[in-house]
Amino acid sequence: MIENEFNRRDFLKVLGWGGAAVAVSGCGFTSVQDGVENVVSYVEANEYMIPGIGVYFNSTCAQCDAACGITGKVREGRVLKLEGNAASSINRGRLCGLGQAGVQAHYNPDRVTEPRTGKGEKLDWEKALGQVKEKLTGVSGDEIAFLTGNLSGHLKVLLGNYMDALGSKNHFVYDAVAPAVMRASNKKAYGNEMPALRLDKAKVIVSFGADFLGSWVSPVNFSQQYAQFRKGVNNGGRGVLVQIEPKMTLTGANADRWIPANPGTEGVLALGLINALGAAGVSIPSDIAASVSAYGVERVSKDTGVSAEQIQKLAAVLKERSPSLVIAGGGAEGYAHGSQNAAAVALLNQVLGNVGKTVEAPSVVPFPQLAPTAGGTAGLKAFNDGLAAGKFKVVFTLGANPVYSAPAFMKLADNLKKAAFKVALADAIDETAAQADLVLPLDSAMESWGTVVAEYQAGDAHIGIQQPLMERLYDNTRSAGDILLSLVKQQKADDYKAFEDYYAYLRGAVVQAKGSLGGAGMDDDEFWSTVLSSGMVKTGNASSSLRTSASAVTLPAAAVADAAFPLRLLPYVQPSMRDGRHANLPWLQESPDPLTTIVWDSWVEMHPKTAAKLGIVEGDIVEVTSKSGSIKAQAYIFPGIHPDAVSVPFGNGHTELGRYAKGVGANVFQMLDPVFDQETGELAINETHVKVSKTGKRVIVVKEEGAAGGSQAGKKIAGRLASNNVDLSKEV
Amino acid sequence: MSVSNLLQNWSAVRHTHPVGDAPHAEYKWAMAIDLDACTGCNACSVACYAENNLPAVGKDKFEHGQQMHWMRIERYWDEDGRDMPDQGAQFLPMMCQHCEAAPCETVCPVGATNHTADGLNSQVYNRCVGSRYCSANCPFKVRYFNWYSYPDQEISWPSPMEQQLNPDVTVRTKGVMEKCTFCVQRLTVAKHNARNEGRLVQDGEVQTACQQACPTSAISFGNLVDPASKVAKQWKAQQVELAVDKQAKDEGDDSHEVGEHHSTTKLRGYRIFEELRAYPSVMYLERVRESAV
Repeated sequence: MIENEFNRRDFLKVLGWGGAAVAVSGCGFTSVQDGVENVVSYVEANEYMIPGIGVYFNSTCAQCDAACGITGKVREGRVLKLEGNAASSINRGRLCGLGQAGVQAHYNPDRVTEPRTGKGEKLDWEKALGQVKEKLTGVSGDEIAFLTGNLSGHLKVLLGNYMDALGSKNHFVYDAVAPAVMRASNKKAYGNEMPALRLDKAKVIVSFGADFLGSWVSPVNFSQQYAQFRKGVNNGGRGVLVQIEPKMTLTGANADRWIPANPGTEGVLALGLINALGAAGVSIPSDIAASVSAYGVERVSKDTGVSAEQIQKLAAVLKERSPSLVIAGGGAEGYAHGSQNAAAVALLNQVLGNVGKTVEAPSVVPFPQLAPTAGGTAGLKAFNDGLAAGKFKVVFTLGANPVYSAPAFMKLADNLKKAAFKVALADAIDETAAQADLVLPLDSAMESWGTVVAEYQAGDAHIGIQQPLMERLYDNTRSAGDILLSLVKQQKADDYKAFEDYYAYLRGAVVQAKGSLGGAGMDDDEFWSTVLSSGMVKTGNASSSLRTSASAVTLPAAAVADAAFPLRLLPYVQPSMRDGRHANLPWLQESPDPLTTIVWDSWVEMHPKTAAKLGIVEGDIVEVTSKSGSIKAQAYIFPGIHPDAVSVPFGNGHTELGRYAKGVGANVFQMLDPVFDQETGELAINETHVKVSKTGKRVIVVKEEGAAGGSQAGKKIAGRLASNNVDLSKEV
Repeated sequence: MSVSNLLQNWSAVRHTHPVGDAPHAEYKWAMAIDLDACTGCNACSVACYAENNLPAVGKDKFEHGQQMHWMRIERYWDEDGRDMPDQGAQFLPMMCQHCEAAPCETVCPVGATNHTADGLNSQVYNRCVGSRYCSANCPFKVRYFNWYSYPDQEISWPSPMEQQLNPDVTVRTKGVMEKCTFCVQRLTVAKHNARNEGRLVQDGEVQTACQQACPTSAISFGNLVDPASKVAKQWKAQQVELAVDKQAKDEGDDSHEVGEHHSTTKLRGYRIFEELRAYPSVMYLERVRESAV
């Protein structure tokens, strides 16, 4: 090998197009002039910049991993409001509250603005990055670890290349509330982790704890499909939604029938439905029929607490109305036998013949190097095990806050101290950055360049383009891409010398592949402008397929209850708070939880019967204790929860992060018991058993709901109609 | 409009729209909200905060009922004594209903809230003296009072958050009443653009912030005078009329009570508190529930 020789394969890998057939155009990177950024002066503004008139730029939402397209309204150089990008097949012009609040993440008063040491001393970038290089000297690749949130696109490529340069294979991907068990069970059942779900084509949707309208996978996309499903656009009439979950989520609140089956018995109910369908004459392969023969209606009713009549009704509707769609979500998979639950639900889909009709082969971006890494809590556990064993000397964190969200039993905060040098790439001093030895401040999503590939691709596969909607608010923040590019240059200066910054790298990468991205025949500038103005690049679909053959599922025997901890804790993934990273956005703190209408706090939901038994009334501060920890929070009496369970939302209880988050509510992650899904090793978040006791204190619950509670006080305010009275598909 | 002018022309100012002698000419802004599509997700509410410079007030002030959400989601449970709400909850987006005969307007001592020619219930901030009579008289409880000067409150817009404020919308001061405007700043732009081109605003040309964000397209908004607009078609199909206090759906149902309508029609459209004769500009479409499961 000759030094500096232009090696095409390495070059593709550098740019992220490795492993795919890419038409690369010839010319090099002659100019990065486009990347020069200037403050727009009104004396000599671009012709489209008119004071008083909003200009709109397309980008990609970074508030969750759904990667909706956004359009930012920019006036006088400031981004004011985000709308959905109508051209995005994911959100088609719509945007959820979490996405809307992206501007508050950008203008957040608690952003970290300068590189700093663990002691809080400010550094300049040269010194900060110099420290990283120095600390990495003499450290072997095995002793370096990265813990990140889900990554995709060229950021993932750069990180991969940096890790290769360091000789490290320790990339742990961590998402505290990921549908990781479902991915694994989908892979087994359908041969694909994330098949496309056609809610709009289904006549019946039976969801086992998937909060697809609230927080699950791609809520804005699913909400749009849900609207069509209800209107009967593609399914011949108003669809029926049945939600099976012991804690009512936003989706459960919108169901025609919400069924609070006993926690953990979702798999039993699914197999019972297969059995009942077989008895009703639906043809079922004989081996599967034999495997579910033990799940007679009587037994299933006893195990699940769902009446035999209800099971029969549900089976009858599923038999009559085809195609249907059955989904397993967090409610069903957060158990030691979560994989089996999810597999039983997938089997029900297969028996009903839904695969290929409402469960379709997904669109796939044909560039595997850019594909999203999809993590869960198994990544956190592996990272923590490495820390505990003292294997890691230098640790990087990006898009993850494990000190906040790791359960106390992991002792992660203590284990982290064993790493000699901890680097946090962070936009605020969260719990993890507060323990870091070096904090590298990130640009907001409104200041960064990037490419994002959504894990759930709806419609045509595309790469989302993230572009700055305005100038940096602070001179000394950098995008994660720029930081990684600088770091990788420390190791492999020659490979990356053509790229002055991440913008040049990204533009170069996208423009080089224009032939494969629909830009053949355009010159570079023209193609790049097209990409930026649309905020995405359509890539065409790689082929994907689903397996339709089904195999039998076995479920473990039900666990025996622990008398010392009689209630089950069902933590709630709240649509706007998720895993807690957005707790410092005041719009979201002040946006009432849809079900309880509570703001600015955590709460403990319990059924009126349970509360009466314990002598608890609304506002009592109660202590919820598990084997692994305890929290104190206000009680809220809530009819939408199983009487043997209590629910506390994730997301609050921060000790750092910022003025709006710190000291608000309680952190329920801390008290989770060490139970893991046996197949995937994911933390089983619904397997914590608790007892609840009064502390003697009482507060007024701060909530939107008025004195009448959920009552309409005898007035016809929110009206309701039985479905046989109306045909929605004929409406305007 | 001076106060003396206001008093002299009281009957004209108090003109209730629409009436036969003065129907809406070009525009009558109205809304339709499909409760079967609404999931209660709150996207509309947050979008309204972003568009209309609504302050976050914090926990203490929220506790005192001083929250400022012009668009709020009300959540109701069935009241038939069941242990479990097994037909889910009911969600209702509630904002100023822009009543044609608005109870808030008649009680304002200074004429700060009155009707515009295009059928909005407007609030003139610099005329408001903060009597709060309007809020007391609003049956929908959608008027919000500025008990504080929120720009001076550390919680609402600490630097640099003030940079997000929408320059098209006034930041209200202490002592004035405010409420949903149907995003009048957007309407104004659309009307000006249309007038410059010598035409009327077309359906779909202007969206309210809540409508634009709504993931299930539950909200439609437009010009009720324009028969081609979606909202006019919806009102017509549901046989809901603006200036009538008893709709086709209410035939044979005088109860005005909670629960499923006793109506035998196949209509879903209704207005809240129709019996109060406020003639709201917002039509709701009833939520539908399947009983087969």
